[in-house]
Amino acid sequence: VKEFVALSTRDRIRAIRDLAMSFEEKKHIRWVLTDKQLNLYCYTCNKLHSQSLRRCGYSIRSARQTLELWQGIMKEIGGKFGTSVLSYFLFLKWLLMFNIFSFLINFGFITIPLLVYDPSPNIPPNVSFRGLEILTGAGYFNYTVMYYGGYSNETLIGLVDYNMQLAYFFTIAVYMVLCGIALIFSMASSFKENYVLADTVSNSAWQLLCSWDFSITNERAVRQRKNNLRVQLKESLSERAQRELLTLSEKLKHFGVHLGSWLLSTGLAVGCGASIYYLYAANWSLLQEAETLLVPFVVSLMNLVVPLFYSLFNKFEHYSSLGRQIYALVVRNVLLKMSILAVLCYYWMNVVAEKFSCWESMVGQALYRLVIVDFLFLMLGSFFGEFLSNVIGTRLLPRLGVPEFDVARNVLELIYAQTLAWIGIYFSPLLPAIQILKFFILFYLKKVSLTQNCQPPRRTGRAAQMQTIFIALLFFPFFVGALSIVAYTAWRLTPSEQCGPFRGLNNTFSVVGVWIDDLQEIPASQWVVWIYQNVIRSEIFYFLITLIIIVIIYIFWQVTQGRKQLIGQLRQQIVNVSVLHP
Amino acid sequence: MGNKQTIFTAQQLFDRYRDLAPQLVPLDYTNHPDVKLPYELIGSMPELKDNPFRQRIAEVFSEDGEGNMTLDDFLDMFSVLSEMAPRDLKASYAFKIYDFNNDDFICKSDLEKTLNRLTRNELTEDEVRMVCEKVIDEADLDNDGRLSLEDFQHMIVRAPDFLSTFHIRI
Repeated sequence: VKEFVALSTRDRIRAIRDLAMSFEEKKHIRWVLTDKQLNLYCYTCNKLHSQSLRRCGYSIRSARQTLELWQGIMKEIGGKFGTSVLSYFLFLKWLLMFNIFSFLINFGFITIPLLVYDPSPNIPPNVSFRGLEILTGAGYFNYTVMYYGGYSNETLIGLVDYNMQLAYFFTIAVYMVLCGIALIFSMASSFKENYVLADTVSNSAWQLLCSWDFSITNERAVRQRKNNLRVQLKESLSERAQRELLTLSEKLKHFGVHLGSWLLSTGLAVGCGASIYYLYAANWSLLQEAETLLVPFVVSLMNLVVPLFYSLFNKFEHYSSLGRQIYALVVRNVLLKMSILAVLCYYWMNVVAEKFSCWESMVGQALYRLVIVDFLFLMLGSFFGEFLSNVIGTRLLPRLGVPEFDVARNVLELIYAQTLAWIGIYFSPLLPAIQILKFFILFYLKKVSLTQNCQPPRRTGRAAQMQTIFIALLFFPFFVGALSIVAYTAWRLTPSEQCGPFRGLNNTFSVVGVWIDDLQEIPASQWVVWIYQNVIRSEIFYFLITLIIIVIIYIFWQVTQGRKQLIGQLRQQIVNVSVLHP
Repeated sequence: MGNKQTIFTAQQLFDRYRDLAPQLVPLDYTNHPDVKLPYELIGSMPELKDNPFRQRIAEVFSEDGEGNMTLDDFLDMFSVLSEMAPRDLKASYAFKIYDFNNDDFICKSDLEKTLNRLTRNELTEDEVRMVCEKVIDEADLDNDGRLSLEDFQHMIVRAPDFLSTFHIRI
């Protein structure tokens, strides 16, 4: 029934409903897989298919499939472990795309012109490449195009006049804006699909009819899922049987425990931040390069160990639902990571920017070290978190059992790693290359660790909502934080005098001012000058825009409230009608 | 977001269909040959062989209701179970799958059969009865003791994971 394809979505739904009612004629509803019409009856190409051509076609198709990155591995993981674990790997792949895009545009627009113009970097004579640079990022790398300091501020004369300052500024700005837009769109669409009207998971009807994961194809996984479902159903039945109201003293006790854990975890987060500040302030020396690894080491150690404490607190607290438990854990971890990042950025912006001559490269190196050490600790974390737990759970303490793959903790680690890369793009344009390598290796590492050491999750559900939360977390506070750091650097801080593309200017944004002044002399581009002076630099414009947006938000909000009321009324009508006409 | 995976074309599905029984399925479909693969072959596909509902899936999508599928049925099945299919379409087919006696309503006996398939018959009779009663309590909006398609779709709307769980990757 191909005519259904041509109908709009609403007509199609109506037509499907009509069909479902009339079961006598078993019509087929065909949903077209691709945009092209399903031309079943015209496999004329098959007439030409000989054995060898078919084999060739197969190999081309399978090559295309492997180009579609990791398709087979995703299918295997989804088949054995289900959708929630698969969402971690999909998230990793999505972040990898951000980094690939960033690397391509940075390399293409910033690095290649410089390399073409001046292929030999000006390295001072007594510095040579030792192996330690890969870890510390300093030394030989400091003078290459890896960092901000390696770029010149001239207009490169070649086939075309290429203004390095404008290129650097606009490439980074455009990338950040595009990232922001991509994140906002993902967040909005995920919110719309997954968050609206979501119900509680412990609902029996949901468990029975909607929770079975049809994509699981492994027999052992299927058996495990059935066991888990049975256990969950039994639990919810027994909860119903013995639901007792908590007494006042018990409620107070629970409240006290909650308050205590929150105070403790916030205190831990603040304490970590303060200790990093003092460590940094006491130990910043250029001479011993290996010592510069100390701060990243401590940071990653905290990121590894303190969440374990949070999980421990979690065990003592009593939560009314699994969702609340996960949210509390996520919020605490986010607080920890934000406080560490805030302290680091504060130190870089306020102390390093004053003290050193080529401070952007210093910050770039610090970020490079953080990224590398974070990667090493992620590998260690995989070892301890999954491999050792598996060994302990199966041999030493069988009561604990095989560990589950902790999706929340792993996704937060990914988000933190990506934030480091986003902050680092301004200071070290080729940092995304390191990040690409890191994520690539991490994917295979986690996949092996997962298949060898972990079992499928016992409690199903909430995968879609958790995904929305993670995308929202990625955007705010992490991306917004990184964007504000870069914006603050570009706006308020004076670029260093001796190195980099913005030397000699008061701040980075004045690059645009200089360019506009140059443009004023060219009569053809007066419209750009007009836009800059009357739109971007005028305050009235922003004031008006803000006012209009606030009014539109208010109108949409009222419309939503009205619709919610309507839904409630309609639901009530259904019940009333059924009561009147049983 | 990163949930969208590759879109498989009709040609790839046709190749999978043909691989199940190369001697029965001709390469050339221009003459609309009437070829039906028996349920045993469909049920032995790696994507379906461990699924507790494979028989119902095959029955719902097959023209004769017995599970013997033509190429059309096969393509329909994987289209609806792919991730591109809209939620309403998936909900209506899921409803048909769970409706064991084909009476357009999911009644208590259908729920009991579903429950037994999903828990390997390990719950006691009492527990089965209680779970089914709870399900009908929670989901039945028009209070007729059984779930109609509207009740089911109302429940699906509030379950955002449904789109990703009612999905077979090929």
